[in-house]
Amino acid sequence: MNHPLGTNISGEDDMGQHRSLTSSQMAWFRFRSNPSSIIGAFIVFSVIFVAIFAPLIAPSPQSAGSFVDFMNRHSPPSRDFWFGTDNVGRDIFTRVVFGYRVSLGLVVGVLGFAVPFGVFLGLLAGYFGNWTEFVIMRFTDIMLAIPPLAMALAITAVLSPNLINAMIAITMLWWTWHTRLIYRIVKAQMNEDYVEAARVAGASHFHIMFRELLPNCISAISVKISLDAGFVILFGAALSFLGLGVQPPTPDLGTMVSTGSEYLPEYWWEALMPGLAILYAILGFNLLGDGLRDMMDVEV
Amino acid sequence: MEDNILDVRNLNISFSNYGKTSKVLRGVSINVSRGERVSLIGQSGSGKTVTMRAIIGTLPTPPAIIESGEILYENQNLLALSRLERNKIKGSGISIILQDPLLSFNPVLTILRQMEDIVKYSDVRIGISRGHEERKKLITETLRKVQLSDHERLLNSYPIMLSGGMRQRVLIGMSLLNNPKLLIADEPGTALDVTTQKEILDLLNSLVKDEGLSLLFITHNLGVVREMADRIYVMQNGEIVETNSRENIFKKPEHQYTIKLMESVPPLFGDKVTDVKNTNSEVDGIISVSNLSKSFPIRTGFFNRITSQNHAVKSVNLVINSGDIYGLAGESGSGKTTIAKILLGLYGATSGTIKIDKLNLDEQVELKSYRKLIQIVYQNPGSSLNRKRTVAQILSVPLKFSGYSNEMIKDRVSELLQMVDLPVSYSAMYPHELSGGQKQRVAIARALSLEPKILVLDEPTSALDVLIQGTVINLLHRLKKQLGLTYIFISHDLSLMRNFCNKIAIMFKGEICEAGNTKDIFSNPQHLYTKALISSIPVISDKEENLKPKVTYEERSAVLQNTRKI
Repeated sequence: MNHPLGTNISGEDDMGQHRSLTSSQMAWFRFRSNPSSIIGAFIVFSVIFVAIFAPLIAPSPQSAGSFVDFMNRHSPPSRDFWFGTDNVGRDIFTRVVFGYRVSLGLVVGVLGFAVPFGVFLGLLAGYFGNWTEFVIMRFTDIMLAIPPLAMALAITAVLSPNLINAMIAITMLWWTWHTRLIYRIVKAQMNEDYVEAARVAGASHFHIMFRELLPNCISAISVKISLDAGFVILFGAALSFLGLGVQPPTPDLGTMVSTGSEYLPEYWWEALMPGLAILYAILGFNLLGDGLRDMMDVEV
Repeated sequence: MEDNILDVRNLNISFSNYGKTSKVLRGVSINVSRGERVSLIGQSGSGKTVTMRAIIGTLPTPPAIIESGEILYENQNLLALSRLERNKIKGSGISIILQDPLLSFNPVLTILRQMEDIVKYSDVRIGISRGHEERKKLITETLRKVQLSDHERLLNSYPIMLSGGMRQRVLIGMSLLNNPKLLIADEPGTALDVTTQKEILDLLNSLVKDEGLSLLFITHNLGVVREMADRIYVMQNGEIVETNSRENIFKKPEHQYTIKLMESVPPLFGDKVTDVKNTNSEVDGIISVSNLSKSFPIRTGFFNRITSQNHAVKSVNLVINSGDIYGLAGESGSGKTTIAKILLGLYGATSGTIKIDKLNLDEQVELKSYRKLIQIVYQNPGSSLNRKRTVAQILSVPLKFSGYSNEMIKDRVSELLQMVDLPVSYSAMYPHELSGGQKQRVAIARALSLEPKILVLDEPTSALDVLIQGTVINLLHRLKKQLGLTYIFISHDLSLMRNFCNKIAIMFKGEICEAGNTKDIFSNPQHLYTKALISSIPVISDKEENLKPKVTYEERSAVLQNTRKI
């Protein structure tokens, strides 16, 4: 039956295809038109590349361990030693390259635990509301109220100071931010009709949380992760600087800055070069994170 | 013409986005004479708002590029003026009334502060100085013009404390503060209920007459245009396709597009009206609701204690037979959607019994069998379809949770897409790749996936353009016939319901004030509220206008929300 209301209406408006660009093309355009995000992506990839192929790139791989070369101690940056050498004559460039391995390992370890845990709690709190929300969010608030450095100091003081314990300390603080972020997004999404539509369709809680709501959080999570990566590196370096993180002779950027600072200002490269390396990595992750945020149009 | 207050000549505007340039306005020419009411009508995306923003100078450049053309206001080319000179015209020469009465206010400032700011900054622009008392006097006078009373209380309130109609009145008042000569109205009242909209339109008309203003009225609603314009411009895809006096446009529209627009407006009275009948003569009461009430607790205070109850639905009785298209009409907040959600089992009822297909909703019906009985199509497919899931994933959810195997799901999804006239290849697409009408088809397909007997349609066409509304309505008719469905149609669009429902219930403040066959209700409304509601609907011919029930102002104000006083 052709109902009178629908006569004389060509299908053109309803069925017509006016898709000139897909959303991924638009996102790519936004990313590309922002030069700082391109630079950020380049820096991040270079850091990851260097960390993976460290033994192949480093000019003197033995410098990464407890190697001593007193002939060349405190030598300034030169053709042989690009970043100079440290107090026992180890090549600082080599140690920076291996230091990135430690830093990235820390990032993967911390975010690998903190993100899934934080996201899960955020989903629970946002989806169920009521008492679940109250308990989870107040617990998160309490964790957020503890000064991070004090918390890390306490944990590493009780356990022994090493990379794994530093990782545990940072992880215990980091999930809270993800919980808050996801909680806020889920709360906003709960007002959308699709959540109720899924409920009417008979979907389980699990399905609604992980299949309907989680995909809507992914872009925010990925932006947050790339911004986080820089801060985790910084926090790990700060712990090492205080002597609570990675212990010598493992090459860590924070430890290197700490040792090098004893020889300032004469042997300036010993603190400056690892410091610049930290700056380089963090800058890269932050620029990339900003670029992703513009590209995916999310607020973190 | 010398007497043109506004003369837009051959305006070409394009937008440059994502490295591509697309033309938005193509040679648009509009003129408004002194004291004239001109309407610009077109569907969403036709370029109405871009035109408006180009005139008032708020078009963001980039991305917009004004390629050629001029905008003459009192024979001055606005596009050639400097920013400072142009700002002087804002408010005092050209003023604007925006569409959304809530979004146009700053929620944390009082009405007085916001109105005073407008006066203050325009004084600075023009270069005069006035004291607080003087400004307040001007504001009070303006509020009187827009028929608002109780000024002291009103001025000290925050926007959230006012009703939608009052906000729109204040907004109109704000645009009048600096005695403009030309008023541009961008769909005022569209976000409001039809009865409130009527009041706002009447107010605008009387203002234009009394103050000698010129009006450029932007809308998509033909019925509104008939009451608001001396001359009409019809816009399609950035072009003016037809322009003529109101009488001529409505009597003999010439352009194909104008004709299509006219025909897509559902008639309220006359021979063109369709009377829908239930072909199933059986009186089985597939849904019977008796004495249904629902109240929501209102929590206030420091301890979040329940202080009072909001009675959303008050002792409602309904009997719907299979094959009915049962309309639930009423304004926002009248309890229509609450009833629908109770029927779907999303809210429990406070009291009363509901029987659906002989199952009693109170006696813990097995959820799965219940889902197969009744399903819903939401108003806005942009919200009811998950943006991050493909059409196939969306359609498979109900199937997955009622025990379909993966093979069966795949077959059923293509079957469903065919049922709603969509190509099977669309199953891999995401909602944002589809147009509004296509999205709503997907939403309908999802609701039908479990072969329910009853479909609740919660304003399924109100988020769509009027031309697309028709195709969706056609689809719903076909599906009903094909699958033997029963519809509960929730809407505030009475002219659409007149042509789509065989029975209708009018809801007023949580109660059903009148119910019966659609034909009888429209030809002979009994309740005062029904009369007021029908008389407020904008229609597109004088014949229909004369057939509307006559309601005096006193009668209206007895049943309708007061928009003049807090």
